[in-house]
Amino acid sequence: MQRLEGIQNGLRLSVTTPLEEVEAAAANEDTLVLEFEAFRDGRGFSLAAVLRERGYAGRLIAAGKLLPDQVRHLRRSGFDAVELAPGADASAWDRMGQAFSGAYQPAVDPAPTIWQRRRAASNDRDLDALADRLNRETAGKDASEIVKAALDPALGLRVGAISSFGAESAALLDIIASEDKTVPVVFLETGQHFLQTLSYRTQLTKALGLTDVRLVTPEAGEKATLDARDDLWKTNADACCDLRKVRPLARATAGFNALITGRKRYQAATRAKLKPFEVLDGVLRINPLADWDGDDVEAWLDDNDLPRHPLVEQGYRSIGCWPCTRAVQDGEDTRAGRWSGMDKVECGIHLGRRQVAA
Amino acid sequence: MYRYDEFDHALVRERVEEFSDQVARRASGALTEDEFKPLRLMNGVYLQLHAYMLRVAIPYGTFNSRQMRRLGHIARTYDKGYGHFTTRTNIQYNWPALTDLPAMLRDLAQVEMHAIQTSGNCIRNTTTDVFAGAADDEIEDPRPWCEIIRQWSTIHPEFSFLPRKFKIAVIGAEKDRAAIRTHDVGLQIVKGEDGGTAFRVFVGGGQGRLPHIAQEIASAVPAADLLAYLTAILRAWNLLGRRDNIHKARIKILVASVGLEAFREEVDKHYATLRHEDLRIPEDEAARIQAYFAPPAFETLPKTSGPFDRALLADPDFARFARNNVRRHRQAGYASVVVSLKPVGGVPGDITADQMDAVADLAERYSFDELRAAYEQNLVLPHVKLDEVPALWRALHDVGLATANADLATDVIACPGLDYCSLANARSIPVAQALSKRLADMDYQERLGPVRINMSGCINACGHHHVGHIGVLGVDRKGEEYYQITVGGSPDEQAALGDIVGKSLPADEVAPAIQRTLDRYLQIRADGERFIDTVRRVGPDPFRDAIYETLDATA
Repeated sequence: MQRLEGIQNGLRLSVTTPLEEVEAAAANEDTLVLEFEAFRDGRGFSLAAVLRERGYAGRLIAAGKLLPDQVRHLRRSGFDAVELAPGADASAWDRMGQAFSGAYQPAVDPAPTIWQRRRAASNDRDLDALADRLNRETAGKDASEIVKAALDPALGLRVGAISSFGAESAALLDIIASEDKTVPVVFLETGQHFLQTLSYRTQLTKALGLTDVRLVTPEAGEKATLDARDDLWKTNADACCDLRKVRPLARATAGFNALITGRKRYQAATRAKLKPFEVLDGVLRINPLADWDGDDVEAWLDDNDLPRHPLVEQGYRSIGCWPCTRAVQDGEDTRAGRWSGMDKVECGIHLGRRQVAA
Repeated sequence: MYRYDEFDHALVRERVEEFSDQVARRASGALTEDEFKPLRLMNGVYLQLHAYMLRVAIPYGTFNSRQMRRLGHIARTYDKGYGHFTTRTNIQYNWPALTDLPAMLRDLAQVEMHAIQTSGNCIRNTTTDVFAGAADDEIEDPRPWCEIIRQWSTIHPEFSFLPRKFKIAVIGAEKDRAAIRTHDVGLQIVKGEDGGTAFRVFVGGGQGRLPHIAQEIASAVPAADLLAYLTAILRAWNLLGRRDNIHKARIKILVASVGLEAFREEVDKHYATLRHEDLRIPEDEAARIQAYFAPPAFETLPKTSGPFDRALLADPDFARFARNNVRRHRQAGYASVVVSLKPVGGVPGDITADQMDAVADLAERYSFDELRAAYEQNLVLPHVKLDEVPALWRALHDVGLATANADLATDVIACPGLDYCSLANARSIPVAQALSKRLADMDYQERLGPVRINMSGCINACGHHHVGHIGVLGVDRKGEEYYQITVGGSPDEQAALGDIVGKSLPADEVAPAIQRTLDRYLQIRADGERFIDTVRRVGPDPFRDAIYETLDATA
């Protein structure tokens, strides 16, 4: 939560403005300032939360009569920053911002809730056992059967999938869609994708009939602070991945305790021991294609007549953000074109909290 | 019952420190009184007529002997040796010094208690059936859901600065023993279409100046979606509720003004765009919370008890207590016992520190260490062996807590009124005391059977007068305390608001007028009719006549 001094630029609306008007106005604005005319008037918290939940990704600034004691309410409702009156007691805002080490209920902010932390603590054990059991039960079975096992309602898992809509993604998405088209699919909209990836995402979503593809963007406040000029990748690719992928994914998947990914052992040394079911940070990771190689993917795409990513025919074999992806030569590793020239093979979303630079 | 884990402990501790910081900023002038007020209210601190008042939460009315002893300790150490149980199943201390409040809150935190959100424009303590987990007509124990609501609503980022207060009550049986339809949201556990737990949801109830009975907005919300649905309701109200007039700010006014259908559409719109996956209550989390409320280790016992039956025959006073204060239990050989806080001539809901200690001991000895606070301002020992009820009764008798009047005419709900409260127009306590003395004859009360008489010292209706079978409302008439009588209200599954019968009465006329009302009922009742049944059959007129028959028409 940033503290700002002086009147900020951006459209200014009173929190007394009806929701419909706020939404209509926000649609065309990168920055929206919501003004509290009285600190008791809590409409602003709901306005922010609704805007965020309905996809507003711009900057949200709170202004007007607010107390330091409301800083957590602002942050957790989706505000990025607060405009302070001259002479405001910054130390009180600091203290109140840190007054609590946790919150029970889920809200817009990405910090894990007490509920999630409890679940992670108790689930780690339970999920480990579940992963072992599912690995045993699906041994020798194909990818469709692995997906089907994960979606078994008897397990009570809240399952989502993550997809880059890259060169190989169509195979996994096709397998998922043939089991259940409503499985939420999270796409990390880093803002740095190739245009071809975005159009492919639309094409593939339609072709497969997926009904819940979610675009997840970096948090506007964090992005403004860390990478206002969109060039962080030049100096610190890890930090850029963290801002654009790791943190948004944590936020977007907080409600899931099982995630389907398209990772395969052959892709990288870091993935050589991949199992179909594993536990990462209290979440069951499901990797139905763990034992596939490039030829298996090719065969699936051919057999099922699935659309190809437009960049594949230009030599791209693994596709991420444009600044950190290049085409590969015949004989090179599939992922050789990712962070080429850097000592980096993973963006971090598959590594777990403890292994990612803060 | 629920036990805190490290997260609950940390949150309550941090809340005390936050409040201390706020008190310090008030003292230094960094916070104005206007700014400090909502912050202290959300920590249960009121400013009353003569002193501060601290209202301590007893979440859904369930607590244990250690907590009860601590409440007694607080009454003795920081107050005048007593406390007052409220209709929100909280307990109030009327005389704490402002400087003692942080210490009181720290003492409470040590026994997993707090005063969070017992006042202010936020989601208040969730109440429930006082016999939850013991009643024989229950589909499911509602308390785990109350605990889930407690956690979800605690320091809610979006719903801490609402247009006005917001109260939720939950029941697990068809029979409504928690007055859910007088609440902003009332929840009744039902079986969903898939056989799973679901909630029938009522919205827009409330008492106060403009009373409304809640209307059904949803017939079966699946349990996993409960928090999402509550969020949609609160969001709709937070955005559309009135903030220009404190008397029109409650959700009941919004629902009444736009109509139930339009309000439902608004809720559905919000529900459609909520982040359901986050708010969904996972089955394992519900199961984790439910495990805390697992039934205690009941013994397998016969349905009837020799000691109990012998005591019935041997002692008419015990027999009377057993008739009126002992309730059926789902487990053979057990009963729930109501500990009335309405002795003849006493202050409804008041209990001394010594009595608190005594009840704590008895709960530990006879009721699996469990206690309940009832919204009728009584206590309940929920799980007592029939064999041991006579011994429990004698022990209660020794400390003045064996009044055998549960649900009878002298089991009066009354707010603190003008003796304490800065909002009140009139005193309620002396009127309740006078009534209690007048109707003290237990044979007479038993002849009358169950009658709910509720009394409020002002239109805010903390004493639930609108839904008393007989309601008494204190009003100010040119500086004099007068009392308006209503007849025919009901708090249960046939919830209704009472009809005002006529002009208000002076204080000393209230008890005689109520007695005439009750006498009229005895004259005209049909076989087996309770008071409220007769009122429903004949309407208020015969009772109006009885109330005013000896009064000067100009009074």
